[in-house]
Amino acid sequence: MEYLFEAFGDSINLIFSFEGEIYGIVGRSLFFALTATLMAALCGVPIGFLVGTKRFRGKSGLLTLMNTLMALPTVVIGLLAYGFLSRRAPLGFLNLLFTPGAVIVGEFILSLPIIANLTVSAVQAVDPRAILTAKTLGAGRAMMAWTILMEARFSLLAAIIAGFGRAVSEVGSAMMLGGNIRSYTRTMTTAIALETSKGEFGFGLALGFFLLLVVFSINIFFHFLQVKGRQ
Amino acid sequence: MMKEIGEIPQLELRNVTHYYNAKMVLDMPHLSIQRGKIYGVVGPNGSGKTTLVYIMNLLLRPTTGQLFFEGKRIQCDEISRLEIQRSMAMTLQTPYLFNTTVERNVAYGLRVRGIPRKNWAAIIKGALQQVGLGGMAERRARELSGGEIQLVAIARALVIDPKILFLDEPAANVDVRHIHQFEEIIAAINRDRETTIVLTTHDLSQAYRFAHHVFPVFEGRLVPSTMHNLFDGAIKASPDGPYFDTGKIQIWIPQEFSSLSSNHISVNPEDIIVSKEPFASSARNRYEGTIAQVVEQGGRVELVVNAGETFRVQITEHSFRRLELNVSSRIYVTFKASSVHLL
Repeated sequence: MEYLFEAFGDSINLIFSFEGEIYGIVGRSLFFALTATLMAALCGVPIGFLVGTKRFRGKSGLLTLMNTLMALPTVVIGLLAYGFLSRRAPLGFLNLLFTPGAVIVGEFILSLPIIANLTVSAVQAVDPRAILTAKTLGAGRAMMAWTILMEARFSLLAAIIAGFGRAVSEVGSAMMLGGNIRSYTRTMTTAIALETSKGEFGFGLALGFFLLLVVFSINIFFHFLQVKGRQ
Repeated sequence: MMKEIGEIPQLELRNVTHYYNAKMVLDMPHLSIQRGKIYGVVGPNGSGKTTLVYIMNLLLRPTTGQLFFEGKRIQCDEISRLEIQRSMAMTLQTPYLFNTTVERNVAYGLRVRGIPRKNWAAIIKGALQQVGLGGMAERRARELSGGEIQLVAIARALVIDPKILFLDEPAANVDVRHIHQFEEIIAAINRDRETTIVLTTHDLSQAYRFAHHVFPVFEGRLVPSTMHNLFDGAIKASPDGPYFDTGKIQIWIPQEFSSLSSNHISVNPEDIIVSKEPFASSARNRYEGTIAQVVEQGGRVELVVNAGETFRVQITEHSFRRLELNVSSRIYVTFKASSVHLL
């Protein structure tokens, strides 16, 4: 127990140490996760909207696939992406491997199914009268789609938060695709893994608390947005 | 049936039918509405009223038939449909308000039509004031009562200044105490803006109170009579002529109905004569009964009479007083066989 308290104290010290490297790692983690989440939201929300609102053959099969993708282990994503991004692979010419871009790609692939799946649920939960009402007021297809998304906005925000949570907390693909290069691709999670492997459990745990604190602050902010929107 | 010579109907249905799962739910050989009038579509639940207004508002494409708007046939393509649909508006039976403020709800139609935002405030204010909700623009839509939701839905339809306003069971969620005020608002919209109003209701007296024309609908068809005194049963023959057996009473019907088959008949409440003694006339249908309920409305009195079957009868206030009627009075209801309509 004392060990935990010490780690918590160390994390507080870390926060107030204003050490460049620590803040660099935190900033990089947030940048990677937010960029990946933004990209995943831009792709996942339209995909989820279409799957949730359209009827087509193979829809239930697609939904099962999307649900399965949510449970994909991060190392598997890392391995697959590695297979595509390594120098001799089909996308090797992009020279992304062991760059921030590769980490973002990995986190994007992890967040996408979560955001898409939760978007499906969000749009399917919208009252069917919303669409009918929009139609009675002369809305075209685009306006009707916008109306559905606006009615589902709080659930969509929750979907994006869940996607961000997955991106910021993953370690497997960031390690495999980014290489955990100091001051370049090292994120909080890969730094924790490194410090733990070196036997620096306290420091690793302190970084873990720091990560929790950052994610907690971001979630508080999103929650504040939701509450404000509902008022 | 409502077409006036020399006037092009604002909206016209020709040979319109609609099927759900191979079952015909609407059959309208012809129906037209004229500009600036109020129409009441009346009928019991499941009679096809909502399907009819959905088709008129182009929310549903009929299985067969054509629709004409201001004399021009409405084409099936999305652009034509949208263009005409934007000159109409509708409120649903259970209106849905978007999860935002009253003001943003009311502004929806303006946004859809690309009306410049600087013009919104005055239009929204005018619409909210017309429905008696001035000063409620900033309220959250989800905090409103059922009646207020209905009024906001009407204001939201009004801002786009529709040529035709469809109201599906508009009084369904309105408190009984506010029905009269609500009807005043609808009548004022028709009077002040010359908006054609088509409303569905199962309350016949409401339809007659303020609609210029009433379309009684039963089992998807326009029927010649109203929906009160609607009886189920079967036509039977006797040496004295055909009659309709409800299982409780026998109702004499015109000779020409003997070869027809129908399980429903109706009798117009205004065709029934009320008397304290047996009424001497050639009318063949006469039943003794007791008054169960008395409702006074706008110079008329509606009596609910238990006489084997329950009859609704409308008489004048003068007759009501002259006959010294009251609840539980014993009376006779009398009507001619020709007052019976087959449905």
